[in-house]
Amino acid sequence: MGKTTLFILGLSHRTAPVAVRERLAYAEAEIPQTLANIKQRVASVSEVAILSTCNRVEMVGVAADSSVACDELAAFIAQDRQVGLPVFGDALYRMEGREAARHLFRVGASLDSMMVGEPQILGQLKLAYAEAARAGTVGLVLHRAFHKAFSTAKRIRKGTLIGHGAVSVSSAAVALARQIFDRLSDKTVMLMGAGKMAELTARQLQSIGIESLLITSRTFDNAVTLARELGGTAVPFDNYRPYLKMADVVIGSISVAKPIIGPEEFDAVIRERRYRPMFLIDLGVPRNFDERLNSIENVYLYDIDDLGQVADKSRAEREKEADKGEEIVEQELKSFEHWMAGLDLVPTIKDIRYSIERLRDVELGRNQSWIAALGPSERERVELLTRSLTNKLIHRILLGLRQGGNSAADNNYAAEVARRLLCGEFDLDDPEFDAIEDDDEP
Amino acid sequence: MGSLWLLPAIACYALSAILFLADRMSGKVRLAGWAIMTLGAGAVLHALDLAARGLQAGNIPVANFAESLSFLAWVTALASLLLIVRLRMSVIGAYAAPAIAIAMGVSTAMTTRGRLVLPAPLQSVWLPIHVGLAIVGYAMFILAASVSLVYLAYESRLKAKRPLKPDAERLPSLEKLDRVNYSLLAWGFVMLSAAIVTGAIWADATWGHFWSWEPKESWSLVIWILYAALLESRLTVGWRGRRAAALTIVVFVVLVGSFVGVSLVFPGKHGGSFG
Repeated sequence: MGKTTLFILGLSHRTAPVAVRERLAYAEAEIPQTLANIKQRVASVSEVAILSTCNRVEMVGVAADSSVACDELAAFIAQDRQVGLPVFGDALYRMEGREAARHLFRVGASLDSMMVGEPQILGQLKLAYAEAARAGTVGLVLHRAFHKAFSTAKRIRKGTLIGHGAVSVSSAAVALARQIFDRLSDKTVMLMGAGKMAELTARQLQSIGIESLLITSRTFDNAVTLARELGGTAVPFDNYRPYLKMADVVIGSISVAKPIIGPEEFDAVIRERRYRPMFLIDLGVPRNFDERLNSIENVYLYDIDDLGQVADKSRAEREKEADKGEEIVEQELKSFEHWMAGLDLVPTIKDIRYSIERLRDVELGRNQSWIAALGPSERERVELLTRSLTNKLIHRILLGLRQGGNSAADNNYAAEVARRLLCGEFDLDDPEFDAIEDDDEP
Repeated sequence: MGSLWLLPAIACYALSAILFLADRMSGKVRLAGWAIMTLGAGAVLHALDLAARGLQAGNIPVANFAESLSFLAWVTALASLLLIVRLRMSVIGAYAAPAIAIAMGVSTAMTTRGRLVLPAPLQSVWLPIHVGLAIVGYAMFILAASVSLVYLAYESRLKAKRPLKPDAERLPSLEKLDRVNYSLLAWGFVMLSAAIVTGAIWADATWGHFWSWEPKESWSLVIWILYAALLESRLTVGWRGRRAAALTIVVFVVLVGSFVGVSLVFPGKHGGSFG
């Protein structure tokens, strides 16, 4: 029997294009059955979980021989997904032991994500674990590895700024709105154009507390539909002007040949507003607002490129924070490996305890005739004496094994030696074994 | 004459200024807590110093320019602590704490040796009322100017589309800064008005006339009119934001210039103190 190791077989946005990933991806509903199939058909895998997101498909498993397990799993996937191995074979990566654990921790901490620090991956990893636990394919090692991945991710999220900063256009717009406005509940957003991006930004602004929403669109029906969906008020496009001064945030996404509003007209708007600040978000290409509006007092105009730059800057900040995350992963990896090394001893320790206790039983059995003749208190004393002797012996051996070495290899070597000395080579029930002992007696 | 509390107080102020600035610069290390605590410690030690001087003088210690400056610095420290803790605007500390530390340095350097005695006509219950109101008013104007500086810095960043820092969440918004600026100006104006009125009543009781057009009085009136105009422009035309912040700073510069000038060049009846 080989050494039990953690392994990962998978592909991600780093190795495979979406055209390949989408063919292998598992829908959430397919996962329980797939896990059951692996359990039944892939004998070399003793524990397994499936992580399937838009950016990666990975099998995290435990096996005695990880290379056999990976081969069998790859074949299983090819058959299960009806995709030839040549299509995705090159994109597959295989990792085992320390590499696999590091990868799992990095994935959970969002260090391997397309957008470093994005928070969804941890939830997806938790789901993968929960599915596997429900399917009964999680054992001692996966349980420990996943929980270590969760706690590592938490530590990194708390200890670094990896999840900070607005990294998308819409979240950059929201972050800017927060810098300009204090109270959001008394603010009004006006959507000019009912595009997807504008809708997304409006939803995010609503989620941070903006309550009042005006929507205008060249097609009035679109405005009405979106207004109903978002809980806003539709305003006819040919009469939006009186409503403009009510808006603190204006999101423009109308397709126009030239800007809708010029600076002169806007000057009047801001005066009517008594110079209360206005935040103009221009998502239109070509742009909806004249760029000179930005120089009007208390007006802040950001077009799609400006917002993109804000997002890029935050992304760069996150990359810097990611280095700190990598350090934390290495620390946690060490403690996980320590645990894994201890785990290797578990069967050995069991065997040693078993064989020594067996030895005692045999000896007691052989001397049963005269022990039976003893009084109850003396019988108990013999019992105690032999038990304390074997316990002390076991204790000393375990202590020696546990302090054996720093590396897993050292530990394994010590365990093997101990096993050979104390169990494997002898059969305690073997009469020959008794004979050897008898020969020693005078 | 400095009491033994003075130097430790100045040391605390200076340390607090350094901590506030370091907190602003680094953006990552959280030093604001320590900065607030040292500022508080400075204010407590400073209060002991002021109490010692007050007992010696038999009234609040504002006999000359140096003492008045010290008293003003203390009130400013208290007001900024209030602002920082209650409104969670630790960014103000980066402006107020260095100003307080510098003011204390100047005050100590200017302090003359020997016992200071207030001229007899000024030994009155009106002294703490009139001077206290004026100094609280000035402290409000100092903080309003600090808040306005912060406002202008943020404003220009937003206008120039310079990307946000990851810690932007803990900075106050423009709207909040503008609102706080307005409250500080309004309270400062109320205090200044009350100081002028109580000063006039006191002058009438002592010298028999409300107003004598001495330089201090005239300049106070000018400052009062400027602040009145500043508040009025917000209430009627709605001047707020950048324009309000810039004007707050301009009026404050006039205030500092005129009062320092008047105190040192034309002492008048106010006797070189600016209270």
